[in-house]
Amino acid sequence: MSVMRMGYVHIRVTDVEAAKKHYTRTMGMQVVAEGDGTAYLKCWDEYDHHSVVLEEGGVGLVKLGYKVETPEDLATYEKRAQKFGASVSRMGKGENLAVGDGVRIMLPSEHVLELYNDIEYLGTETGTLNPDPWPRDGVGVSAPRLDHALLTADDVETTERFFQEVLGFQAVERAITDPADPMLIGTWLSCTNTPHDIAYVKGPNGKLHHFAYAMEDWNSILRAGDIFSMDDVPVDVGPTRHGITRGGTIYFFDPSGNRNEVFCGGYIVYPDFPTITWTADQLGKGIFYIQRELNERFTSVVT
Amino acid sequence: MSGRVTFVDHGVTVEARPGETILAAVCRTGYFYRYGCRRGGCGVCKALVVDGTVTHAAVVADSVLTPEEAARGLCLTCRAVPNGDIQLRLVDGDELRCVSPLLAGALNRALTKEIL
Repeated sequence: MSVMRMGYVHIRVTDVEAAKKHYTRTMGMQVVAEGDGTAYLKCWDEYDHHSVVLEEGGVGLVKLGYKVETPEDLATYEKRAQKFGASVSRMGKGENLAVGDGVRIMLPSEHVLELYNDIEYLGTETGTLNPDPWPRDGVGVSAPRLDHALLTADDVETTERFFQEVLGFQAVERAITDPADPMLIGTWLSCTNTPHDIAYVKGPNGKLHHFAYAMEDWNSILRAGDIFSMDDVPVDVGPTRHGITRGGTIYFFDPSGNRNEVFCGGYIVYPDFPTITWTADQLGKGIFYIQRELNERFTSVVT
Repeated sequence: MSGRVTFVDHGVTVEARPGETILAAVCRTGYFYRYGCRRGGCGVCKALVVDGTVTHAAVVADSVLTPEEAARGLCLTCRAVPNGDIQLRLVDGDELRCVSPLLAGALNRALTKEIL
């Protein structure tokens, strides 16, 4: 039993055509379905139906979907979430295009999380029989897959506890104010063997800081940066390295101002991984290891 | 239509090219104030139009710039294109700063002379 990974990010965009152009021409995703001001997209190395949903009207996060290992897991997580005190409901097959039955949870951070096991299978672009390492005609950044999301929460501690106790995530890295009088201001949680499958920093409930694409290596991060210049994509920070997760990164904005990231690297997380702690006075280094300072934009802009 | 954007509290005027947003004109001419995503999503670059009008060049979400704020004359400067000359006031204690004297000097000398 487990939550396997982040499966989809459903966001609002002010202009679905402009958003589609960004997520296809710049990021290299493929539109798999669309209609009624909504578009469904996937990356080339993803095999499930979609990983990004763009819905016209507003900005910010509608909901996140995480895929669980077995259909039976749904009932278990449903019970645990109820016991925790979260508001939980069942979602029926077809409520989300191509997605089966699931459990919808209002998180302590006031974000909507959907758990599901069944989603239509489309296959990767390179296939499963003697596959090439990457698609010959990849577009733009040609991002292989989604990786994680960073959200904001007023009460990071309770949100972290929810992910640990209800969903079985482990806290891989944590940021606290002061070791003498610690308050949790950030947490990076894993349900796979990567450094984070979801993360939270202190901020307003219900908001999206960014969602990230996993890239192969540092070279592909630099190449993505070149494409952002070619396509006039506003860059927030990078290319640089995170102290937290050790990943390489560029943060940038989609045409509605939702923040995206291209991310690479990071270490392997085993179940016995000893949690890493960062103190607030070193958080600049933790977030941007090379510059060692947080810009105001990075800390204040959420959608 | 091009338009001159005058920051009333700072005595600085920059000229926006036809179709150019206020923020783009400000950055191009070597100035800086607080801004975020540059795509209308965060509302960090809000400013008050005290004279003249602007047109938002893209759809702006009501959650970012509420209809009440728009009615009061606030705009998202990353999306707002001036309709001719306008007077602008930064809000929330934000300050206009010259971050590239080289650009500001080269591009604004003629304009400043003309105004003075």
